Amino acid sequence: MNANRILTIISAGLLLPATAQQSLESAYRTTGTAVVAAFETQRQVLQTSSAVILDGRKEIAYGVVISADGYILTKASEVAGITGLAVTVDQTTYREVKVLIVDPTWDVALLKVEASGLVPVVYAPTSAVPQGTWVVANGATTRTGRRLLAGIVSAKIREIPATGGAALGVILNAKSKLLEIDAVNEKSGAKEAGLQKGDVILSLDGKKVTKIEEIGAILKDRKAGSTIKLIYRRKTDEVTVDVRLAARGEMFTDQMNRNDQMSGDFSPHRSGFPRVMQHDILGSRTVEGGPLLDLDGRCLGMNIARANRAESFAIPVEDLKELAARLMKQAGK
Amino acid sequence: MKFPLIFPIVALLPWGAFAEEGRPYVNDLKAPESRKDLEAIQKALGLALPKARAATVCIEIKEGSGSGVIVSADGLVLTAAHVAVGVKKKVTVILEDGTRLKAETLGLVADKDAAMVRILEPGTYPFVEIDRAETTRLGDWVFALGHSGGFDKERGSVVRLGRLVRIASATFQSDCMLIGGDSGGPLFNLAGKLVGIHSRVGQQLQVNMHVPMTEYVSNWDGLMKGEFIGEGPFAQKPAKGNGFLGLATEPRQGGGLRVMKVGSKSPAEEAGIKEGDIILKMNGVALENREQMQGLLKEMAAGDGLTLETERDGKAKTLTLELGER
Repeated sequence: MNANRILTIISAGLLLPATAQQSLESAYRTTGTAVVAAFETQRQVLQTSSAVILDGRKEIAYGVVISADGYILTKASEVAGITGLAVTVDQTTYREVKVLIVDPTWDVALLKVEASGLVPVVYAPTSAVPQGTWVVANGATTRTGRRLLAGIVSAKIREIPATGGAALGVILNAKSKLLEIDAVNEKSGAKEAGLQKGDVILSLDGKKVTKIEEIGAILKDRKAGSTIKLIYRRKTDEVTVDVRLAARGEMFTDQMNRNDQMSGDFSPHRSGFPRVMQHDILGSRTVEGGPLLDLDGRCLGMNIARANRAESFAIPVEDLKELAARLMKQAGK
Repeated sequence: MKFPLIFPIVALLPWGAFAEEGRPYVNDLKAPESRKDLEAIQKALGLALPKARAATVCIEIKEGSGSGVIVSADGLVLTAAHVAVGVKKKVTVILEDGTRLKAETLGLVADKDAAMVRILEPGTYPFVEIDRAETTRLGDWVFALGHSGGFDKERGSVVRLGRLVRIASATFQSDCMLIGGDSGGPLFNLAGKLVGIHSRVGQQLQVNMHVPMTEYVSNWDGLMKGEFIGEGPFAQKPAKGNGFLGLATEPRQGGGLRVMKVGSKSPAEEAGIKEGDIILKMNGVALENREQMQGLLKEMAAGDGLTLETERDGKAKTLTLELGER
C-alpha cells in the first residue's frame, strides 16, 4: 500500500511539469467523466431500460428490456452454459432467470425474469441516421447505477459475412476414404447436433456426398446461422439432423491477424450477421448485448460485437424489432 | 515492428483564445455540458464529413494497404512514410467509390512518418484543405477517417470521433481509435481541415498517434521532389546493390548484350525477356559490356524501376520492370 502510494507520487511528479499544459486530463477525454456527464438524460434510459447480465456477481453482458413484465434480449454466446445467471435492471437484481430461446443467426437470447413495471426501450423510427450521429451505450456499471460510453455512427449499414465462410465445424479423417469425422469443434453446430468422431457424413441438404469438395460446393453460398439437413451413419444407424452453420474463422481461431493482436480484446462471435450498424464505442467484449441509444434516448439497435479496437457492431432497430417479435412469438408469448 | 511511443514534449502550437473561422464554440468548452453542445459537435461533424470522406483514399502497396488523403485537385496525396515504404514506388490509390488509380510515391520523411504520393492519372479529384495556420489545440474535437483493415466498399472508410489529448514534438495524440489499415489516413478538425496523418498506436486504446501537418508543410519541397528525408524508423533507405534482375548475358558484336539465360521466376522472366533477346539500353544508357550493366545495377536497389530497350528478331521493344531482392 505504502509502496504503491510512493510510486504513484514519484511517477506523477515526473510527469506533471512537462505535460500539464500539453496533455488533456482524463476527465475531459472522450470517455472521461466530464464529457460523459453531458449524456445524463441518455444514462437515465440505460438505468431503467438496459439490463446487466451477471454470472453470480460477475458482469458478463448487458441486455435490452423489451417488456414491462421482464422479457430481456441479450447476447446469446455470452450467457450460454452459465448456471448462476442473474439480471439487474435499475437497482433490482433478479436471481431467477430463464433463457427462453436463442437465435443463432443474430447470436441473441430471449431471457425472462419475474418482474413487473419495468420500462421497456422505446424504439427509434429508423437506423438510417447519418454517420457522425451521437450514440450511447452501456459502459462500466455499479451494483445500483449504470454508466455510459458515447461515440458516433461510423460506417455504412451492411452485412458482415462469416469469416472464412460458413462451416459445419468438423475435421474429417484424411486417411479415410469415407467422409469420416475425426474431430468436432466445441463451438460448432455439429457439436450441438450430436455428431461425434467416427460418424460418416452421407448427405447434405438431400444431396449425397462422398468427397470433401462436394461439401465445400454445397456450403459455399450458405450463411452462418442458417441450418442444413445432414444424414450421417454411426455404426449401422443412419441419422438425420439439422446442423447450424457457423463462421469457420470463429470456430478455428488459431489465426489471429495483426489487427486482432493490437485490438486487445474482441468478441468471439463477430461475423456472420445479416445486417449491422457500426459505431466507435469500445466497451469490453464482455459487455455486449445492451441497447444503442440516440440523443433522444431511443433505441437505435442492440450492441452485438466488438469486432476490433476501431469497430463495434449493433443490430439495427428494424431487425431488432422483428427479432424481438419473432422470439416472443416462438417463446409462446 | 514496434515504434517508440514516448517523445520529448515541446510546446508546438500557439495557445490563444482568438476564434478562427469555422471553429465551433464547443472546442473552447472544457467539456460539452448540454444537448445543445453535443448537437453542435454532431452538426459540425456532419457538415465536414462528406468532403473529408470523398478525399480519403486507400493506398495499396505490395506489402498490404494503408490510407491517405487527397490535398490537391490534381491528385497529391498525403500519407505516412511507413505506408509509402520508399520513394518513386508504384502504388494503387483507391477512391471511396472503388475507382482504382495508378500512383507513385514521391518524397518521405523517415523519422517523422510523413510521405507524399501522386496520382498519375490525370483528373480533377476531391480534396481537402490543410490546416496551415495550425489552429488546432489541445482538447479540440477531431475526427479520424481511414480504411481500417483494408478497403471495403460495402463499409466505406470508418469515421471515429475524439479529442486531441496530447501534443508533443512531431506528434498529436487523439482518442480516435486507430487500427491497422488506418495508417496514413487523415485526422480532421471540426471545420473539416486536415490537421494530422495517422501514424501508430500503443497497447492502450487511448494511444493513437498522428503526424501533425507542420511536418508536411515544413518539408513540402523535398516531398514534392521525391526526396528521402531523415533516417528511419518509419522507412529505410534502400540498400544499393541488392537488386535482382535474373539475367546472364554476353556482349554482342556491334553493341548491346545478348541474353544467354533467364532465371526462372526472375523479374526479367516476368517482364517477358527470353533467351536470345538483345538488350540495347538500360535506363537510357547504351550497353557495350557486362561490367557496364553490373555497374548500373550496383547503384540500384530492390524495388527500383528499370527500363530496358530490347530487340528480338530485329524488332525493338521497351520493357519496364521492378528489380527483385537478391
